[in-house]
Amino acid sequence: MFEELSLHILDVAMNSMAARARTVQIMIGEHARRDRLSIRIQDDGQGMDADTLKHVLANLTTSKHSRKKNIGLGLALLRQTVEMCDGKFEVRSTPRMGTTVTAIMKLSHVDRPPLGDLNATILALCAANPAVEVQLHYLSDTEHFHFSSKEPAKKKVASRPERTSSGEEKTSYEPGRTQKVKRESATAGCLA
Amino acid sequence: MNLEELKKLKEKAQRQVALREGSKKYRVVVSMGTSGIAAGAREVMKTMLDEIEKRGLEDVEVRVTGEVGLEDVEPVVRIEEAGGEKTTYARLDTEKAKKIVAEHLEKGKKVDNLAVGKEKKPE
Repeated sequence: MFEELSLHILDVAMNSMAARARTVQIMIGEHARRDRLSIRIQDDGQGMDADTLKHVLANLTTSKHSRKKNIGLGLALLRQTVEMCDGKFEVRSTPRMGTTVTAIMKLSHVDRPPLGDLNATILALCAANPAVEVQLHYLSDTEHFHFSSKEPAKKKVASRPERTSSGEEKTSYEPGRTQKVKRESATAGCLA
Repeated sequence: MNLEELKKLKEKAQRQVALREGSKKYRVVVSMGTSGIAAGAREVMKTMLDEIEKRGLEDVEVRVTGEVGLEDVEPVVRIEEAGGEKTTYARLDTEKAKKIVAEHLEKGKKVDNLAVGKEKKPE
C-alpha cells in the first residue's frame, strides 16, 4: 500500500508507458461538495483483452505466461486503497485501443491517503519516455487547470476559476459514461 | 497542488527531462516499477534531478524504467557510461542519491560501498 495517491497514479501510468501509449491522461476531480475524489488514468496503449483483464483484477500476482508480463501488484494495490475508502474501482480496456483506470473515493474518508507530490509523479512519467505526452487535468470546486508535457512553454497552464465552459472535463468524470467504442469492462468491488 | 506549482513543474519537466536529449556521457536509469515506487524510487529520482541541476551537470540524462528484477534491494539506480560500462546502485535513499551525484556523476568516481553486483567491463 502506498502512502500517497500520486504514487498509485505513477504506478498505474507506468503500465501505460509499458503498453506503448502515445498519450497518457491523468484526470483528478476533487469535489468537496459531493465529498468525492475521482482519479482516472487513460491511455491509448495496446490495451488488454477480456481474459487478461480478468486475470489482472482477480489475482494479486502476475503470471509469466500472461500476455503482458508487466502487470503485477499495481492495480490490486490501488483497488485495495479504493475499497478501503468506500470507493469504486474500474478498469476498462480494449485491445489496441487503450486502457482506462478509474478510482473514485470518498474525499473525507479517514483512510483516504493524501494526493501527495503530484509534480514528482509527472516528472517521473516525463522521464520514463519524453516522447509520450503526459496530460494532467485537475478539477475541483473552485479551480480547474490543465498540464501537458507537449504544450509549448509559453502557453503553460490555463486557470479557470469559474468552471462554466469546462463541460468536457466535467462530464468525463461521470462514472459509467458510455464510450464511443464498445469496451469490454470488468468492475471490481463496487460498493455503490 | 496549485497553479504556481504546476507552472514550476512545466519548467522543470522541460529543463530537467525534455532538454536532456541526445547522447550524454552518463545515463541514469531509475527503476520505477511497483516495488521501486513503494521503496521510494520517486523521491530518489527527484533528489538526483535536483542535485544534477544544482551542480550544473550538463552531460547527464535521467530516465525512468519499469521493474529491473532487483525487487529485494530497491530503490535501484543504474548508471550507464558512454563507453558501455554499467554500475548498479541499490538500497538507495535521498542521502545516498546525493552522494552518487556528487561522486560518480561529478567527479567520475564510483561509490563502491553502494554498488551491487559485478562490474561489466569489456574484456
